[in-house]
Amino acid sequence: MAEPKTIIGLETHVQLNTNTKLFCNCPTTGLDKPNTRVCDVCLGFPGTKPRFNRMVLEKAVAVALALNCKFNKLMPWARKSYFYPDMSKNYQITQYDVPLAYNGYLMLDFEGRKKRIRIRRVHIEEDPARIIHVGGSIMKADYVQVDYNRSGIPLIEVVTEPDLSSPAEARAYLNKLISILEHLGVYDAANFVLRSDGNVNVAGTKRAEVKNISGVKTVEKAMAYEVTRHRNLLRRGAALKQETRHYNPKTGLTHSLRVKETEEEYGYIIDPDLSWIKLSNELISRVRKSLPELPDERAKRFIKDYKLNVEQAGTLINDKSLADFFEECLKKHNPLLIAKWIVTELMKSLNYHSISLRESGVTVKGFLELFSLMDDGIITSRMAKELVKDYVDLKKTPKQLVRAKGLKRISRAEDLLSTIKKVIKNNSSAVRDYKSGQGRALHFLIGQVMKETGGQAEPGKVRELIKKSLK
Amino acid sequence: MNAVEFISKARRGEIDLKRFYRQLFSKLHDINDKYECFITICRDEALKQLKNLPRGRLYGLPVSVKDALCTKGIKTTAGSRILGDYTPPFDSTAVARIKAEGGVIIGKTCMDEFGFGGFSTNCAYKVPKNPHDLERSCGGSSGGAGCITSVLDEPHIAIGESTGGSITSPASFCGVCGFTPTYGRVSRYGLIDYANSLDKIGPMAKTVREIALMLKVISGHDLKDQTSRMEKVPDYARTGSVKGLRIGIPREYFKDVPDDISNTVWKAVKELESMGARVKNVSLKTTKYSLPAYYVTAMCEASTNLARLCGMRYSLEAPLKGNFNEYFSKIRSKGFGQEAKRRIILGTYARMSGYRDKYYLQALKVRTLIIRDFKQAFKTCDLLAAPSMPVIAPRFDEIEKLSPLENYLMDILTVAPNLAGIPMLSVPCGKVNGLPVGLHLMADHLEEQKLINAGVAYHG
Amino acid sequence: MPVKGISRDELLHVAGIARLKLTGEEIELFSKQVSDIIEWFKELSKIKTAGVKPSFHALETINVTREDKAGECFSKEQVFSNTDNKEKGFFKGPRIV
Repeated sequence: MAEPKTIIGLETHVQLNTNTKLFCNCPTTGLDKPNTRVCDVCLGFPGTKPRFNRMVLEKAVAVALALNCKFNKLMPWARKSYFYPDMSKNYQITQYDVPLAYNGYLMLDFEGRKKRIRIRRVHIEEDPARIIHVGGSIMKADYVQVDYNRSGIPLIEVVTEPDLSSPAEARAYLNKLISILEHLGVYDAANFVLRSDGNVNVAGTKRAEVKNISGVKTVEKAMAYEVTRHRNLLRRGAALKQETRHYNPKTGLTHSLRVKETEEEYGYIIDPDLSWIKLSNELISRVRKSLPELPDERAKRFIKDYKLNVEQAGTLINDKSLADFFEECLKKHNPLLIAKWIVTELMKSLNYHSISLRESGVTVKGFLELFSLMDDGIITSRMAKELVKDYVDLKKTPKQLVRAKGLKRISRAEDLLSTIKKVIKNNSSAVRDYKSGQGRALHFLIGQVMKETGGQAEPGKVRELIKKSLK
Repeated sequence: MNAVEFISKARRGEIDLKRFYRQLFSKLHDINDKYECFITICRDEALKQLKNLPRGRLYGLPVSVKDALCTKGIKTTAGSRILGDYTPPFDSTAVARIKAEGGVIIGKTCMDEFGFGGFSTNCAYKVPKNPHDLERSCGGSSGGAGCITSVLDEPHIAIGESTGGSITSPASFCGVCGFTPTYGRVSRYGLIDYANSLDKIGPMAKTVREIALMLKVISGHDLKDQTSRMEKVPDYARTGSVKGLRIGIPREYFKDVPDDISNTVWKAVKELESMGARVKNVSLKTTKYSLPAYYVTAMCEASTNLARLCGMRYSLEAPLKGNFNEYFSKIRSKGFGQEAKRRIILGTYARMSGYRDKYYLQALKVRTLIIRDFKQAFKTCDLLAAPSMPVIAPRFDEIEKLSPLENYLMDILTVAPNLAGIPMLSVPCGKVNGLPVGLHLMADHLEEQKLINAGVAYHG
Repeated sequence: MPVKGISRDELLHVAGIARLKLTGEEIELFSKQVSDIIEWFKELSKIKTAGVKPSFHALETINVTREDKAGECFSKEQVFSNTDNKEKGFFKGPRIV
């Protein structure tokens, strides 16, 4: 029996990297010490009024353009009322009836197929404060500590249609979204973590909403857990409830927070403290003109100018820092070679450790050492592959590694002959095969020599010497 | 001596301010014992202000401030128990501008909790007594402001606040002048919100000249309130004549008003006519819808404003027991008075998903019709004139018998102009049974000067 | 027959949304008072407003914005001057569950 169909929709909150908060002049950086980036407005003191930061609008318009959205032209602000200890006013200022933008899409390359993920809406809202559950998890805490540094940081919420058909696809979507945001320069992945609410629905069951999942991989894990949970419930014939759930990244489990009987009661009204936004065509076209090259265009350029294949280009542009890294390396080397080394070797190590390029500490300069070491004949390409792995593992550059390990390429006959003799002696059956005309046996023997020399032997020279020895 | 004369004398150094204030404060305490007009009298802060007083347009002038306006370092309760210990770390813009011009803050005046009332009887602390009859109300919600303005002989200007008539009502009942500016003319920054699309800060004083002086100081755009108006503020004290001024008499505003009050108001209108104004009848047909439209709008906004008061950061607190629903409910149930609770419930109800269109949005559509009505009238009139209140100040025992709904109905003459956000001025125009009656003048948006001109001509 | 105004259950539901716990006396009192007021609110439905736009303000303001320039934050003293519920630079609040 086929697995029941999974439908996932994501509501993703992105913190925009403006200088100041959405509705007050507090800076959005230097947030480490709690409650030091706060004022009367973001603390919600009675009598204070929000003051809209126009830069937020420009950045949000850029995002909506990059996601191919249509725009609303006249927008009020809304108060979304709900009580929660992280809400300074117990209402959130957001866009409700009239979002900034709607009906867009993001093109996803996933498992070799192109898929259009529809974007339902993009709107602006304020971030709540950060809370710490003191005395255990959210389920067990005695009280909470609240840090309002985050209160009022500008967010855009990007809401998809339920177009994602697996947790892995959800992850791919988020990676692409982040790449777009980083290309736009509106989002700072080093300082801000993406937060998503994931709606899961398996085979038309009642949907569960998992709230406030931080990061990208976590979303995949939380969605995967929910999909499994839904399937298990379905298999057992148990009733599913429409509910809101919380994901605990430590246990990998979700917990029910509340059962939704009806649409939640947010009692929206128009915020009477703010003026309306009238979005002019001038502003839209000005932002459009200043849009930088976006991931999809960049991939096209990589394919056209550097002759990369679609997969290589796709991998590179999915992470802006990787694509930048690639282009930075090109100043010295040919694109195809660099792309191959990044996409196959470097990515293998990064993925193995589940880290980003930024986190790995790999630099353009360090990476380029590989190629000069190869060009100078100091290492073989086989050694280079090992060095990429070690570079990521040990955080040492190829030159440092070569020095530390005393590595060098062995290509002189007098340095290789004793090893070759040993290999021929110990592999008599392979030698027989070779002599009887089986070409594969030669590869085996070369491999044995490489192994004996720790990959330092020059394969061409080894080939030549074995052939000569077995004549 | 009125405020204008006092300030020029003080600026010339002819008044010993230190001595003046020492005497003033001993008197204020006596007044407060008798009339209960202040929630807080701030003697120490005032004397401190004197030490480094800017020689501005209000140099040395005593100013009282409704307790809904935040005052830095001075307790600000908005008449509520839930803000009983709240000392704002900042000044509201109106107060900051007054201080910058050398005005001296003498105290925070009594009010209905968050402005929820028309008689100042819904205050968690004190109920101001009408200077003309201690058994009667001062009106509300700026009742303390009306009271001290009436009772204090020394020069003084009060700062009040109106959402649906809270300046006009106490001005009328206490027999003083009360001015409600155009919505947005005066920054609301630092005003503890009742209903943000309706709240307006305005001066109250014995004379309209004093009001003109204060209005100039507190008006004008403020970066801290993005709904404040950008238009240039005229020098209101340079008054013009009322000759040729067209005054409209909206017949709906006289309909249910007792004859003695309406006759008193008519007499005032005739006097303006004798000065050269032209009087004509007009009709404001939407008047009768204005009350429910006002109350729905105001309560919807108010119920969201008060959500932040939950026992964290600044409001009434208790040991942290229970989950947030339990804790917030406990604090709020203890901290809010009954009228606040009623309005929070009604406001929450009227914006619920099933009712939002029927009440909240419908009220705002009706508001559009009301605004249109006024705009139409101002095509042919410069001012509208009406009684300020449909009654003279009621006795406390009469008020007690009123249901909440009957209470709301008292605002029939003031809520429409408040919904329309137009400026209005109440000036005393005589007495009925020994109690003051107010003449209410209304003007089109941003036409404060016309009101000042007529007010000064009629009352001085 | 439909309930006039508001039923007791609905009153308690709305109070709950607003985080108000009413006393028995208040429930008694408010049931009648709030119901009367809601019935009075219904007067609004009688007014023809087809095609009329709501006025969220009496006077509109459009695109009043501010520059993205950092200003002063509160001092530690200002931040915590009105509360006892604080520790280690944090505010304290009630737990969630």
